[in-house]
Amino acid sequence: MKERISTLMDGELFEDESEALLSRIKLHPEAKHEWQTYHLIGDVLRQPDHISRDISAALRERLQIEPTILAPQSRVSKKIRYFAMSAAASLMALALVVWMSVQVGSEPAAQMAMQQQSSAVQTASYSVSPSYAVNKGMDDYLMAHQEVSPSTDVAGAATYIHTVAAR
Amino acid sequence: MKPRIFLALAMLSSAPGVMADPARQDDQGWLKTMAFAAHLTDYSGTFIYQSGSHVEISRITHVSDAAGEHERLEGLGGERREIIRNNDQVWCYLGDGKVLVKKREGGGAFPALLPEQLSALNENYLIRQGEEDMGAGFHAHTLIFQPRDNLRYAHKMWSHSDSGLLLKAVVLDEPGHVIEQYAFTQLTIGGNIDRKWIVPDKSPDKLLDKSQRQQHQQHIVAAPGTTAVAVVSGWQVGALPDGFRKILEMRRTLREGKAPVTHLVFSDGLAGISVFIESLANKPEVRPGLYSQGVIQIYSKIVDDNLLTVVGEVPPRTVLQVAESVYFGGQ
Repeated sequence: MKERISTLMDGELFEDESEALLSRIKLHPEAKHEWQTYHLIGDVLRQPDHISRDISAALRERLQIEPTILAPQSRVSKKIRYFAMSAAASLMALALVVWMSVQVGSEPAAQMAMQQQSSAVQTASYSVSPSYAVNKGMDDYLMAHQEVSPSTDVAGAATYIHTVAAR
Repeated sequence: MKPRIFLALAMLSSAPGVMADPARQDDQGWLKTMAFAAHLTDYSGTFIYQSGSHVEISRITHVSDAAGEHERLEGLGGERREIIRNNDQVWCYLGDGKVLVKKREGGGAFPALLPEQLSALNENYLIRQGEEDMGAGFHAHTLIFQPRDNLRYAHKMWSHSDSGLLLKAVVLDEPGHVIEQYAFTQLTIGGNIDRKWIVPDKSPDKLLDKSQRQQHQQHIVAAPGTTAVAVVSGWQVGALPDGFRKILEMRRTLREGKAPVTHLVFSDGLAGISVFIESLANKPEVRPGLYSQGVIQIYSKIVDDNLLTVVGEVPPRTVLQVAESVYFGGQ
């Protein structure tokens, strides 16, 4: 049933098949739920702004329900099932990217640094590098700082990401 | 895990100073709980870090047992980038096969969030609880740290409601742009966590298998044995940004075999600023300039015969203000 709905969503069913499936969906509450879920996925892909905050929980649940394919199947249905699973999995990533992009400013850090420095008290000119990856020896300072900074206390090893990201 | 959290909470409720203001107690209590959780909770998970166009996906594991704290951060994708910490020792595997072995200084006592630091926090940030939310499938409390001036960034933190563990964090600048953020996409708290990577002994030779040991011998750059001594260095910051106080001053080596540097540490309760001063005679590899990596700014310049490097989780203007006002006042 799931893969039939998925195929229907993709517009890959013949008209009579679609009608038959739609009337079955109306009769079966479980299929109706499935139909709604697929539409939710579609909606989210089209309108990331209106993503539900709790969507990851619903998806996690969905991923667990999603059966693993063990039995041999026809080529076509495998492909469709693959689509259905990857849609759920990639939506997890999408939800996070959406959450991030909602809050992301477009200005790169270096540009911001330039702006902020112009409002700084100092009038000297500073050269701003986008990254210190080229600068050997910077790791030592970075690591030494992270050892003693109070922010490390809350975030733990996650603060080491700055050293990792600098590569 | 549970008894530990219980202990942490018991310690929190008995902490002096926190009880003074009931309105603040809750918010500060959360921050302390988060600090305890970061040190005492066993967890493993995957998180996404984003700063500008830079995105990193990393795996993190943290185990706290009778032998202390062990944590590992692995960058997923690309060449090997891994950091392993075993109490005060840190191993870095960064791309080129180099293994840096460091001794972590000043990291022995936790939390660094002392009562005076928590009061500094309230002077510099307006702290409030935000809406309840979800993070990595867990129920989360949110805490917002709104700076009272433009010398520091705004922070929003999602903390696991049961353990206090940090699930998401966002840092914003004054106009409200995101400087950096990270969030767990998957997280396991407690339970069966892979411990095979844990370093069992302080000697680096014993902790690696044969092939790793060979690599270690080839590429080892430094061994444990760096030093740090509290000093009165004579170095001063003339225009210390409002709200920052000195929390440490020491003479230390960053790596064994390197000449010691002077390290001053300042904090406003949440963000830290480090000032490093070393003689140009040490031939430091760092080139002068301003560098950014997400929330962290590094500014290096030459002052007389010394290389001055300022590192902090603060806006560039704050780092520059510190750097431009450092002087040697005599001992």
